[in-house]
Amino acid sequence: MKLLESLYIKVFVNIVLSGNETIVYIENFTKGSVTESFENTFSTVEVNEEMVEYINSYIKESPYFYISLLDISSTQGAIPTCLKSTMNLYHDISDSEYKCQNKQWTHYTSKNDLYEIERRYEAFGLDFVFSPFSVLASFFSDKVDNSLALYILLEDAHMSLAVFDNSQLKYADFIDISNVVESEELVEVEALEEELDEEEGIDLDDLDAIDDLDDIESLDDFGDIEDLDSLDDIDEFSSSEDVEEEFHHDEDVQGEASTSSSDGLSEDYKRFTLVQKSINNFYTDSKYSGDFIENVYVADSVGISHDFKRYFEEEMFMSVYVRKIALVIEIAQLAHSEVL
Amino acid sequence: MKYSYIKPRKKSAITADIKLTLTFFSISILMLFLTYAFLLYKSYSFHKDVISINTKKTMLSSSIEEMKSRILFIEKEDVIASRVKTQNAVLKDSITNLFDLVPERITLSTAQILKNSLVLKGITPNKDVYNFMLQAPLRSIFNRTYSSFYPAGNGWLYFVSTNYTDEEFSMKQEEDDNEN
Repeated sequence: MKLLESLYIKVFVNIVLSGNETIVYIENFTKGSVTESFENTFSTVEVNEEMVEYINSYIKESPYFYISLLDISSTQGAIPTCLKSTMNLYHDISDSEYKCQNKQWTHYTSKNDLYEIERRYEAFGLDFVFSPFSVLASFFSDKVDNSLALYILLEDAHMSLAVFDNSQLKYADFIDISNVVESEELVEVEALEEELDEEEGIDLDDLDAIDDLDDIESLDDFGDIEDLDSLDDIDEFSSSEDVEEEFHHDEDVQGEASTSSSDGLSEDYKRFTLVQKSINNFYTDSKYSGDFIENVYVADSVGISHDFKRYFEEEMFMSVYVRKIALVIEIAQLAHSEVL
Repeated sequence: MKYSYIKPRKKSAITADIKLTLTFFSISILMLFLTYAFLLYKSYSFHKDVISINTKKTMLSSSIEEMKSRILFIEKEDVIASRVKTQNAVLKDSITNLFDLVPERITLSTAQILKNSLVLKGITPNKDVYNFMLQAPLRSIFNRTYSSFYPAGNGWLYFVSTNYTDEEFSMKQEEDDNEN
């Protein structure tokens, strides 16, 4: 059978839901390497005939095909233990499917959601369902093992947060952005931005001119954004090994940030507040160690603006390193490690 | 599974297409084997029939030989039978002629017809009747005729007449008969 298997190509179909779209990335794998890859984006999150036809056209090439999906169910998460006796301290896992990683931490998802996912994709079936926390740990495997830091996987409608200290998970949270009720602050910011937009558009550099913002606690320092840009010059950052990851340091990116739309700003700020809230939870909840986090590593699959990084640096005094991630390729990597 | 929540479905190299192809080839090979087996059986059967037919042929040949010899024998028998029939006819005629030769006054008690001879025994009223009425025709038929008499007690005489035909003469007569 192994001999027969070696004669066939392996087809890895990787599916990621991104906002209102479904990205399908297909790899043909022969003799230990990817020989061909194809990608197609469907403007639906449901399985339609076009998608089934597209996937079937590739999987019919070989009986050895593996269809992987990134789990986006809102009931998923990760907990810093593999012991069943202590798992319930963090989450009731009786109705969850879970996987222990490195005998140190566990990621889980609801069994009902898993059944729902399998039912939704029954037209071609699924072989693997991966947790975004696995993706995060795999993507930052070079960082996770040797430092205490917050790791964030940014997706279009979700964020996966994990605090790792020398490969031991300390805290994790999965945030469904679309389902989170907007905080009053954010609503106020959006209202203000809309108002300013109506006048003549807004230059972020002139934010200090807006008096109303002074009332917003979390945006106290918005007016000093220009000054705070000088943080980029701090030795700690400039001498960092992750210089290449310090996204938006370039001139052109800075320009992009300065002209970013108010929608992007509010979206990034919304993300930031959600992360901030989650970090507060880590600091305040006695279940977690609450170690002080200095570094944030962001796996960015959506293309965030420079402001997102700046919020962390200015409001939480954290060093932020952003690394672009192609989720479909990371999913494919996980599928490879499962099969090969 | 290290990362995935679910296990992958079983993968088999034998797809529906391959199954169909294998089934087709299996049936084809099976049919070939069945045909081969049938031909083997037929060949064996034919070989067996050949042996049987050869045995029968040998038996029939010997039977034909036997029949031929029997036919030959029967033909010979037929020839012999024909000859016997002819001889019997001749003999019958001879006997009829013989009895026609015997006058009413002479009574025969024994007539022995042999190959080249005739022996007659009987009673005659006297020698003259015998000599004139029986011996005279006998002498015309046979080459040699011998007669002897002895008294019967009532005045009549017993007689024994022995008549011979010479071999050459009889053979010549036979040849004449065959020619006729």
